[in-house]
Amino acid sequence: MTMIEFHNVSAGYSRNSRVLEGISFNIDKGEFVFLTGPSGSGKSTLLKLIYHELIPQTGEVTVADFSSKKIKKRRVPYLRRKLGIVFQDFALLENRTAAENVSFALEVTRASRSFIRTRLAMVFTRLGLAGKENCFPHELSGGEQQRVAIARALVGEPYILIADEPTGNLDPAISMDILRLMIEINTLGTAVLLATHNYSLLKGKDDFRRLHLSAGRLVYDGPNGNFAPVPED
Amino acid sequence: MLRTLKEAILGFTRAKTMSFFAILATGFSLLVLGLFSLALLNLNALIRYLENKVEIVVYLRDNADPGQVGLALEDLSKLEGVRQVRYVSKQEALENFRADLGPDSDLLQDLETNPVPASFNITMRPGYRDTLHVKSVADKAQALTFVEEVDYGREWLRRIDIFKHVVNVVGATTGALLGLVAIILISSAIKIAVFSRQKEIFIMKIVGATNNYIRRSFLLEGFLKGAIGGLLAAGMIYAVSEILSRKIMPITSFSDRYYLYTLLAGALMGLVGSWISLGRYLRRI
Repeated sequence: MTMIEFHNVSAGYSRNSRVLEGISFNIDKGEFVFLTGPSGSGKSTLLKLIYHELIPQTGEVTVADFSSKKIKKRRVPYLRRKLGIVFQDFALLENRTAAENVSFALEVTRASRSFIRTRLAMVFTRLGLAGKENCFPHELSGGEQQRVAIARALVGEPYILIADEPTGNLDPAISMDILRLMIEINTLGTAVLLATHNYSLLKGKDDFRRLHLSAGRLVYDGPNGNFAPVPED
Repeated sequence: MLRTLKEAILGFTRAKTMSFFAILATGFSLLVLGLFSLALLNLNALIRYLENKVEIVVYLRDNADPGQVGLALEDLSKLEGVRQVRYVSKQEALENFRADLGPDSDLLQDLETNPVPASFNITMRPGYRDTLHVKSVADKAQALTFVEEVDYGREWLRRIDIFKHVVNVVGATTGALLGLVAIILISSAIKIAVFSRQKEIFIMKIVGATNNYIRRSFLLEGFLKGAIGGLLAAGMIYAVSEILSRKIMPITSFSDRYYLYTLLAGALMGLVGSWISLGRYLRRI
């Protein structure tokens, strides 16, 4: 079952500058996909198209039942509730505890208090954050902060976890931890799209699907093991 | 709703400095506006008090025909702006004069004839106590054949007119200016408060908060901050007005309703300011 579909998508931030050109691919339910490419190749822009912060200039982006061509602006929040999004800088609110940061994502959906409590306990345990509920972000290590951010992304049981350079601010050992965690999340059924230019993360992941962007074009879509580096990168 | 309220209250305990600044800006602006209004209120009360003293005294000749005097009294009463024309007979005028003299009234004992003239004392309705209307009535009275002299404190009236004009012009321009400054100050404070929480708005959107949800919590927060600012201003205006009244001089104080309006003005400014500042962030998808 197709979860995300890009059909000949071009996009940019103004009329005369295109960041992405003619992108087409599908991501199915439960897939794990690496999105690679050098800085400025359009990885973040591609992710923005998925969570509809950006609308394609041409082509169509379909996420579950939502199409970029038909979606009304006020429906976008409902699409986002089906996505879990993680950023390089964690995007946690400094003045809220870990638990508050995570429950926030459910509160905006008007979920009941008891449901929030249950989900919170579940996701904190699953991500190895039990006991850290009342810590503020500055009291947590970088790896822990990213786990809180992942917890927030997962608490609403999304179809897909979208991660934009999630290990960009973390040292190599912690980065591998976060990757392992994401793979584990994937084995439980959630699709994962992980954008990174930290290629050491892909070592030994030959069977994983890899999409590679170069200067705004999708130049490779296949198993990581068969990927041949692009000369201009 | 309860959650929104909780979110709003937490919102401003979290962004303490920004909230404090917004509350202070609202409170200070409304305080300045309030003190200015208080001064204006008292100047207007003074003008009214002075105007109340305006009276046209039409002195009648001793040989005036009572029939004509009666008709004239009726005619004058019908003139525009006239509230009352009271006939003061020679006898009554003498009594008044005697009362005015007090202990010296013995001086009048030896008089054989009454030297004090009869008069019409004309008072004007509020809104007609200015040179233009008063002079028009005085001129009509002066034109009557049996009138000796008309006195209406020409110079006095002219000064009141000028004073009133100055108060009106200075009051309106300064008031408008202060109002503008208040709006700019309050809206910048709110803009900064919203700006400082861009990240929060971004995260709210990323996790799927609707614009209405985001707006509700920010608007409620703006409303509460504005109301607190308004309350502060109202309290301070009340204090200043009480201290002036008790320690320095009796002044005209605001009615209770004014304090409620100050509070509401603060709340409204907070609400509208937040609405406008938020718009920019919410329009983006």
